[in-house]
Amino acid sequence: MHFTRFSIAAAALIALAACAPPGQQAESGATATGPIKIANVNAQSGQLSSLGQWEHKGVKLAIEEANKAGGVNGRQIQLDLFDSQGDPTVGTNVARKISAEGYIAMLGTAESAVTLAMAPILKDAKIPNITSGQSPKLAELKSPFLFLNAPTSVTFDETLAKYLVDDKGMKKIALISNNGAYGAGEHDAFLNSLKTRNITPSADEIVTPDQKDFNSNLAKIREQDPEVLFIGAEEVQSGLIAKQARELGIKAVFAGGAPVGTDVYATTAGLDNAEGTIVSSPYLSNEATPEIKEFAAKYKAAYNEEARMHVAKAYDGASILIEALKQTNAEGGQKLADAIRGVKRAGLLGTYNYDANGVGIHETKIGLVKDGKVVPEAAS
Amino acid sequence: MQVFLQTLIGGVTFGAVYALVAMGFSIVYRTMGLVNFAHGSVVMIGAYAASTFYMASKLPFAVAVVVAIAVTALIGLVIERFLRPLENKDFTLMLIGTIGFGAVLEAGAVLVWGATGHAVPSPVATGPIDVAGIRIPTYSLLVIAVAAAATGLLALFLQRTKRGAAMQAAAMDHQAATAVGIHVGRSNAMAFAIGAGLAALAGSLIGPMLYVNPTMGGTLGIKGFAAAMLGGFGSMPGAIVGGLAFGLLDSFAAGNFQEYSELVTFLVFALIVMIRPTGIFGEATVNRA
Repeated sequence: MHFTRFSIAAAALIALAACAPPGQQAESGATATGPIKIANVNAQSGQLSSLGQWEHKGVKLAIEEANKAGGVNGRQIQLDLFDSQGDPTVGTNVARKISAEGYIAMLGTAESAVTLAMAPILKDAKIPNITSGQSPKLAELKSPFLFLNAPTSVTFDETLAKYLVDDKGMKKIALISNNGAYGAGEHDAFLNSLKTRNITPSADEIVTPDQKDFNSNLAKIREQDPEVLFIGAEEVQSGLIAKQARELGIKAVFAGGAPVGTDVYATTAGLDNAEGTIVSSPYLSNEATPEIKEFAAKYKAAYNEEARMHVAKAYDGASILIEALKQTNAEGGQKLADAIRGVKRAGLLGTYNYDANGVGIHETKIGLVKDGKVVPEAAS
Repeated sequence: MQVFLQTLIGGVTFGAVYALVAMGFSIVYRTMGLVNFAHGSVVMIGAYAASTFYMASKLPFAVAVVVAIAVTALIGLVIERFLRPLENKDFTLMLIGTIGFGAVLEAGAVLVWGATGHAVPSPVATGPIDVAGIRIPTYSLLVIAVAAAATGLLALFLQRTKRGAAMQAAAMDHQAATAVGIHVGRSNAMAFAIGAGLAALAGSLIGPMLYVNPTMGGTLGIKGFAAAMLGGFGSMPGAIVGGLAFGLLDSFAAGNFQEYSELVTFLVFALIVMIRPTGIFGEATVNRA
C-alpha cells in the first residue's frame, strides 16, 4: 500500500519535472497556436498608481490595435495586468509568478525601484522586460533582457543642465531630491552634469520619499537665494515641494525631469506655483508632430482623457515588443531579446536605437509649464 | 535663526495634525483598552469625504469638514457595533478586526474614488504672513487654531458633561460603571464615534497640505500612533504634547539629518520610550487584555 502511494507520488514528481517551463517551449515557436501571454506589471494602487494606470492604458491601446490587425502572425496577444503597488517586494513576487505562468515578455513597470528588484528574476527566467523606469542603475545592470522605453536620468539631466547653464547662463542652482531609486538617480545625474560645467550647487538637500514637511530644507535653500531649484522627486512630492517653496518665498524657477511635466505635479503645487517650471522630457506635447497628434486623438477616443508622456512611452514599448514578436514568430527568450535590441523604430518619444545597456532613446527636449500644461520651450 | 524658526512652524503645523490623530487613538484606547488599527484609514476617509464635499459639491470648507466628521463618526459607530460582541471575550480578535476594517476602508476608497487620488486647493485664499523674514502660511494658522479648538471642546466634554464623565468612569472601571447604571456599550460607541470624528478632522485639515489618496492613512496612522505612545497612550494631554513633539522631531530631523531623518526620528522615539515606557504623561490606563 505504502509502496503504491510512493510510486504515484514519484510518478507525479517525474511528470512535473518533465514539463518544460511554460512559454519557453510548449507555448511558443512556429507551431504554437494559442494566445501569446504578455504581462503588464504596474502600480494600480498606492501613491504612484496614476503612473501605473496611464502606462497600462498605453500598453492596452497598442496591444488591442495589434490584435485587431490580426495579432502576431495570426496569433492573438493575451495581455494580463498585475498590480505591483509600486512596491519592490510585491514586484519580486509578481516576477516569480509571471515566470512560472508562461508569460514570454513583460511590459512595465513605471518605477525604477520595482524594475530593479524584478530584473534579476526576469533575467534568470529569460523574460525580456521593457520598462518605463529611468534610473541610470537600470542601464548599469547591463541585463540582456532589460530594455528602457525612455532615456535614463543622465540624458534628462544633461539636457537640463545644458539649457540652464550653457544656454541661459544660470549658475546659482540649488538641489532638492529624495533618496528613492528615481530621486537618487536624478540627484547623481544632475550633479554630474553640473560638475562637468564646474558648478557647485548652492544647496543640496536630500529628503526621504515619505517626507511631507520641507520647511527646514527649503528654509536652508532660501538663505542661498538660488536662481534655479532642481527638484528630483516623483509627481506628488515634487508638487508639495514646489508649493511649500513658494509659500516660503523662494523665487527660484523650478526645474526637473518628466514628473514636473505632469498635471499631478501642477495641481498638487497649485497652477500659479507650477507656472514657468522647466521640464526636460522626450515628450512635450500632444501637438508636436502629425504622428503624435494622431496617437493623442486615438487615445482620447478610447479613454476620454488627454494623452501624456507615460501613455506614449508605454505605447512605444508595447509597439516595439509587437514588432519583435513578429520577427521571432512569437518565440520568447534570448531570441526575443535580440529581436527587441534590433528594432529601429520612429516612436512617439523619438527614434529607438537600443545600445548594449538596453537604452533606446538618447535625447530629451526642454519644455515650460504654462497653465498646468507643458509647451515646447521654442514655442513659449 | 530663520531656518530654526521656519522649521519650528512646519513642525508645529504637522504636529497639530498628528496630535488630532493621536487623540483619536487615545480616546478609544482609554475607553476600551483597544488600539484601533483602522484609525489611519479613517483619517484617509475623512480627507476624501471633506475634499469631495468641498470640491465636487462646492460646499464651504467648514461645512464640508463637519459633514466629513459626521460620515466618519458613523463609520466609527459601525466598527464598534461589529466589535461589541467580542468585548471582554476575545481581545486579540478585536485587534485583528480593526486591522481588517482598515483594509476594507482602503479598498472601499479605491472603489469609490479610484486609486489615483487628487490635489485639494487651499480653502484660504490669502498668502503667507511675513514676520521678519519668517513666512507663516495662513492655512497653517488655521490648522493650528482648529486643532486647538477641537482639543478644548473635547476637554470640556470629558470633564464638564455627564456623558463625558460617564465615559471616564467606564474607562476607569467598567464593572463598577455598569453597576451604577452606565451603559458601557454606548460609552464605547461614543468613544469610537469621537475618535473617528477626530480622525476626519485631521484628514480634512491635512488634505490641502498634501495629496489625498487611498494610502495616505498609512504614514499618518503610524505617526499619530507614535505620537500617542510618546505622550502616554490613553492620555489626552499626552496625545497633544506627543503630537507636537513628534511633528517637531520630524521637522528638525529632516533639516539636520537629510536622508537619515526618518531613522533619526524613530531612533529618538525608541530611546524616549525605552527610558519612559509609559510615555511623557505616563498614567495607568485601562488594560482589559
